[in-house]
This record gives sequence, structure tokens and C-alpha cells, in this order.
Amino acid sequence: MNELNKKLLIIFLLIFSLGMTALFVLREATESKIQSLNVISNVPNFELMNFNGEIFSDNNLNEKITIISFIFTRCEGACPIMSKNFSILQTRFANSDLVQFVSITVDPKYDSDSILKSFSNQYSNNDNWYFLRGDILDIIALSENGFFLSASLLPGGHSTRFVLVDQKKQIRKFYEGTVDANVMELQNDIVTLINQS
Amino acid sequence: MKKKLFFQSAVTATILSYLLIFIGGLVRVSGAGMGCPNWPKCGEGWMPPTNIDINQINTTLAWIEFTNRMFGVILGISIIILNVLAVFYFRKNSNLLFPSILSLIFVIVNGVLGGALVWFELNPYIKTVHMLFALILVSILSYICIKSYKMINATLFKGLKKNPILSKSLIFLWVLIVIEILLGTGIRTNLELVSIENPLLSKGEQLNALSSYKYLHSLLGFGLLFFSIYINYHLRNNSLLLAKQLGYFILAMVALQIFLGELMIFFDLPQLTRLFHTWGSSWLVGVIIILYNCMKNE
Repeated sequence: MNELNKKLLIIFLLIFSLGMTALFVLREATESKIQSLNVISNVPNFELMNFNGEIFSDNNLNEKITIISFIFTRCEGACPIMSKNFSILQTRFANSDLVQFVSITVDPKYDSDSILKSFSNQYSNNDNWYFLRGDILDIIALSENGFFLSASLLPGGHSTRFVLVDQKKQIRKFYEGTVDANVMELQNDIVTLINQS
Repeated sequence: MKKKLFFQSAVTATILSYLLIFIGGLVRVSGAGMGCPNWPKCGEGWMPPTNIDINQINTTLAWIEFTNRMFGVILGISIIILNVLAVFYFRKNSNLLFPSILSLIFVIVNGVLGGALVWFELNPYIKTVHMLFALILVSILSYICIKSYKMINATLFKGLKKNPILSKSLIFLWVLIVIEILLGTGIRTNLELVSIENPLLSKGEQLNALSSYKYLHSLLGFGLLFFSIYINYHLRNNSLLLAKQLGYFILAMVALQIFLGELMIFFDLPQLTRLFHTWGSSWLVGVIIILYNCMKNE
């Protein structure tokens, strides 16, 4: 083997091992993204109402990928941003009947059916986004015990996090609903869940 | 001795910068760009967290991004060493001193641009500039390599016949390659924008959604193939073996790039192919500069 061929062989081997390393890293990265969606816990039983007076319970989460938020319509800080982000996600996943959105009001006394309805008209552009109300104590319990989100000093003190729930009513991950990068991450995770099903 | 040391230092920096481009590409295709949510720190500290899921940081992605940053630092150090040698030994040789200083500026600016990428949450335009600056950096470093190589092996290059057509062709080829890379970057950026707005489309569907200028990239690719055959034709009687070898390399690399490009269209843009497609193009940029300067009389 002459000098040139030897060099070429070494270069080939180097590039080959670089490729193998890259392949390994890429597989690890994909794996880690799925791992980060590990089941956190199950959504407990609950029963709330949408603004049409129909019952919406945990059974409505079956077979759907659901993104849940806690908001109230008089809120001026985080809620408009959170709802805008829901609206964006709703548009982007308009072609999938697997994805649905749920916003639960933490101010049910003020947020009547009609107020929730007009809020819905303002942000929602499809019928897969449910605005729910119910007894404030039920809502606090659901937020704190069901979704591990703080709910003190309501309505102002509600959590600004989004919750990703899979088709089996399992909580998979939380996202800061006002941070674009986190919403983007949520979008990618929804795609991961859709592709897995 | 001084000359050799400087040459070795330049080669080291060049190889490191190519490796860094590879790792940077790996960060991009693996989606690890936001692996560390902040910059220059990674999470709470300077190193990625080792225990899983503190503050929801994906440690695998954090380590991929961290490796990229560490390699950037290592490259920075190697370029600082290059500059120290340049200032100590070749202060009066502006051919070596200025490019060295320039490479230092570019490596620092590109490091900060990497930080800006994190601050602006992977803005696709900053990504493109970050990559372009990396290409400029390897171009400068390749230039230093061949200049210092010629200094050591002056006899090799003595009496080399000038070929103005070949030199002009090489400049033209380099410009075309940079345009081709910009077109490719444009395709990738637009693919990304399409996928953000339409997350449910498959990679193939995203590609179809792009406007027809994507064909320009393929077309120019084939143009480059014929052009590199033409350049090899001009090199056929060249007395410098190195020049011939570089000519073959360019031709082979362009052909490989076309193959990888077509492969991506038919197989839904596999990640590894994307990585090598980008990396290969960066090699072309540097190698053409080396070949051009081989041909030039000092």
C-alpha cells in the first residue's frame, strides 16, 4: 500500500467513525425527546361545564391529545398571551382531529357562560377548544391535586403553565404558556405524540 | 522550525474548525440548539446538569449543545496560539499576520453569534449567518495553511506554469459554490419556516410546499459538476501533484454532494444525510481556496 492510499484509508476510517458517532448521537437525541414525555400521572376524574351547559368530564379526554390551561377572562397579564398561543397552536393543528384544547376559568363567578362564549369567539377559530367552568372549589382541587399547578389567591394567582395530556388521560409534560420557546417545544411534543399513535 | 510550527498550528486550527462545523450541524439536525436554554451558562451552572429533568432540561440535548460550545472554546484557544505565533515570528509578513488576526475576530464573533442564537430562540436568519461566518472562518484558515505550506516547501512551487484561465475559473467556482450554499441554506430555512406553520406535514410534503427555486439548487449543482470537470481538464498536465489531487477532490466532492442531495429528496431528508451534505459543502469552500493559492506565484 503506498503512502497516498494509506492516507486515504485513514481519512475514510475517520469520516466513517464520525458518521457512526453522529448516528449514535442522533438516536440518543430522538430517544431523549421521547423520554422527556414520560408519563407523570393520570388525570383524576372531574366534571365541569362548557358554555353551552354541556358536561365536560375527564372522559372527554379519551382518545385525544389535550392541552389544558387555567385562565380567566378579566385577566390582563398572562391570559391573553396564553390564549393567543392556544389560538396559534389550534391553527397549526387544524388538520388533526386528535388535538383538542381546554381552558378552565379560575373566576367562575364572573366568567358566565356568555362571557366565556364571547371570549371564545375572540380567540378560538375552531370547535375543538373548550372553555369550562364549575364550582371554584372543584377547580382549585383539580388545578392543585390533579395537575400539580398552584391555585392560591385566585383569580390572579393561577398557574400560567400548559399541561399536555395524552390519549390515555395521562399527564405527559408542563410548559410555560407565555414563553415562545416553550410553546414551540409543546408543538414539537404534540407532533411526537401524534406520530407515536 | 518557526515556519513549521506555524504551519502545524494553522492545520490544527483548520481541522478543528471543520470538526466544529460538523458538530454544529449535528446540533442543528438533532434539534439540540436550545439544549441549553441560556448562554453562556448552560442551565444553572457552566456545565449541563447531570441529574435528569431539573427544570425540565433535556440533559442529552444539553450535552450535545455543550459539546459544540466546548469545541468552540478549544478552536478559539488554537486560534489564539496561532495569533501568538504570528505576532512573534511573522509580524512583518502581512500575508500571515492579517489573516490570523481576522480568523481570531471571526471565531470570537461567531461564538457570540452562537449565543445570540440561543437568546433569539434559534432565529433562522441568525442560524444562516452563524453558518456563513463559519465558512468564512475555514476559508481564512485554509488560506493561512496553504500560505505557510508554500513557505516551507517553496521548491515544490518554483517554476510552476501560470494558467490564468484556471485561476479565474477557480475564483468563479468558489463564488458559485458560495451561491449554491446560500441557495441550500435558503431551502433549509424555508423548510423550517414551513414546518413551524405546518407541523403535521411530512418532510417530503414540506419540500413540495417550497417554491420552484429549490430546482435552482439542483440545477446549479449539476452545473458545478461540469465546471469541476472543466477545471480538472485544465489541471491534467499540471506538474504539481497536490494541485491534481485537490482537483480530483473537488470533482469527487461535488459528485458526492449531488448524490447526497438527490438521496434526501427521495428519502424524506434523513438527518445524517443532511449533516454530511452541509459538511461536504464547507470542505469545498476551503479546498478551492487552497487550490487557487497553489497555482498563484508569490
